[in-house]
Amino acid sequence: MELIIAAIVILIKVIVIAVILFIVPIPLTWMERKIAGHIQQRLGPMRVGWHGLLQPVADGLKLLTKEDIIPDQADRLLFKMAPLVSLVPPFAVFVAIPFGESVSVMGYEISLYISDMNVGLLYILAVAGLEIYGVIFGGWASNSKYALLGSLRTCAQLISYEIPMGFSVIGVIMLSHSMSLLDIVNAQQDIWFIVYQPLGFFIFFVAGLAEAQRIPFDLAEAEGDLGAGFHTEYSGMRFSFFMLSEYLVMLTISILCVLLFFGGWHGVLIPLPAPIWFALKVGLFIYIFMWFRFTFPRYRYDQLMNIGWKVLLPLSLFNILLTGIFIF
Amino acid sequence: MISKNALQRLEQKHPWIGIVFFLDLIGGLALTMKYMFSRTVTMQYPDKEKWMPYPRYRGHHVLRRDENGENKCVACELCSKICPTNCITVVPHENEQGKRRPLVYEVNLARCLFCGLCEDACPEEAIALGSTFEYAAYRSQDLQVGCDELLNAKGKTEQGGCVVSAQFFPDDNARVEAKEKAGYHWWRNIHRQKDKIESSVQGKDR
Ligand code: SF4
Ligand code: SF4
Repeated sequence: MELIIAAIVILIKVIVIAVILFIVPIPLTWMERKIAGHIQQRLGPMRVGWHGLLQPVADGLKLLTKEDIIPDQADRLLFKMAPLVSLVPPFAVFVAIPFGESVSVMGYEISLYISDMNVGLLYILAVAGLEIYGVIFGGWASNSKYALLGSLRTCAQLISYEIPMGFSVIGVIMLSHSMSLLDIVNAQQDIWFIVYQPLGFFIFFVAGLAEAQRIPFDLAEAEGDLGAGFHTEYSGMRFSFFMLSEYLVMLTISILCVLLFFGGWHGVLIPLPAPIWFALKVGLFIYIFMWFRFTFPRYRYDQLMNIGWKVLLPLSLFNILLTGIFIF
Repeated sequence: MISKNALQRLEQKHPWIGIVFFLDLIGGLALTMKYMFSRTVTMQYPDKEKWMPYPRYRGHHVLRRDENGENKCVACELCSKICPTNCITVVPHENEQGKRRPLVYEVNLARCLFCGLCEDACPEEAIALGSTFEYAAYRSQDLQVGCDELLNAKGKTEQGGCVVSAQFFPDDNARVEAKEKAGYHWWRNIHRQKDKIESSVQGKDR
């Protein structure tokens, strides 16, 4: 009996999280367009629903009804697979992400995470890295020079930024003596790790920007020189899968920033319920991502590689050394 | 203010400070943040607002009437002569009172370039370019407008240059109707020194 209930609870949690993840990009696109608008002194979407709130729904419907074009010379199997391949890892990542500790419903303790892996952080970094396959497949299968160049760039970028990203969280792991995100958050009960790890946070954040392919590191879809990068040839629903995965990666990075450096669901000063604190912090990070997008121009490709290998990598190694000395 | 200047001087003396702390990037972020919370310049046309053109605006043609409500045009054909695109057709005739009046007066708005020369040439001040700017049509024949339409077209605005609240009717005969006569100055949201601009515009245009 116990086992069945536990299984059902996990199933429900998985379904709830999957549904939320499918829905979350809808307000995010709206938010992004609103922020873009206001930064450029425009209003953004205003026509569908109250202040354009239903605009993403209208856009989704439009994408659904669009013709699904597969280029003539494309590798059809890979072309169809790519959007799914890039969509699965962002979903899989959320298995290991805790949203809070636990709540009790009807005397039954329900934890706000699907699983508390003891290698949670490692799992997240590894699975998130798989997203790159979607990009490679998409670019390769389209059989178009822009898509191929875009996907090559993305691969190089993701690979080179994954390394500093991985190194930058080692400081956090050293401080909390654990890779489980739950333990990491609980280790920050009193003092957030941003206090001990400002450099680590900086590296993680910059690498995160590059991982999520946001400006100033959005070379993969540099409209000016590449059309739209690896999804140039995609249209309709397949294209929206790529968009969906991009927003989910952004969400993941924001959540990781909060979990690793900003105390997760632990609040300061104002006692709010844990999930609200968590959502507020994640929202702030998403806002910062969007704010960056509409402030900065894009880096040149060689600058991107220079920052990755010559600045962030040595800095992240230095950060590990510093943390080691600090702990010692 | 003083501390800001001191900071700037310090940064000029030691450029590396700016590089290490990304002062240029932070400056950019501060600027966009400022704009984020400033007033937007969007004119919500056609949903809520509409622009009233200035009196000098050259839009859809209009034929003026005299005090008896009759067409002012005497069919002298000067307008059709001067028109660089040859888009005015005038056929004169003599009406019941023995006056010279146009039998046919047609303007091809699809070809007109809104130079306003017809208006300048007219000795009777009959033809003028009015304030209507929403006359898109599905067929180019519809842009060939005749005498009746020209007589009923909207004339020049009295003041103009303002944004008035309006209503959008998205039916077959789609149109945007202004709900009030005077609105806010359209430059207000774009130019921050509101008072200075407004007074100068009024001085020149009236
Ligand atoms: S505005 Fe110019 S082009 Fe148009 S009808 Fe008059 S003279 Fe011709
Ligand atoms: S509109 Fe003026 S210029 Fe043209 S035919 Fe009539 S009177 Fe002459």
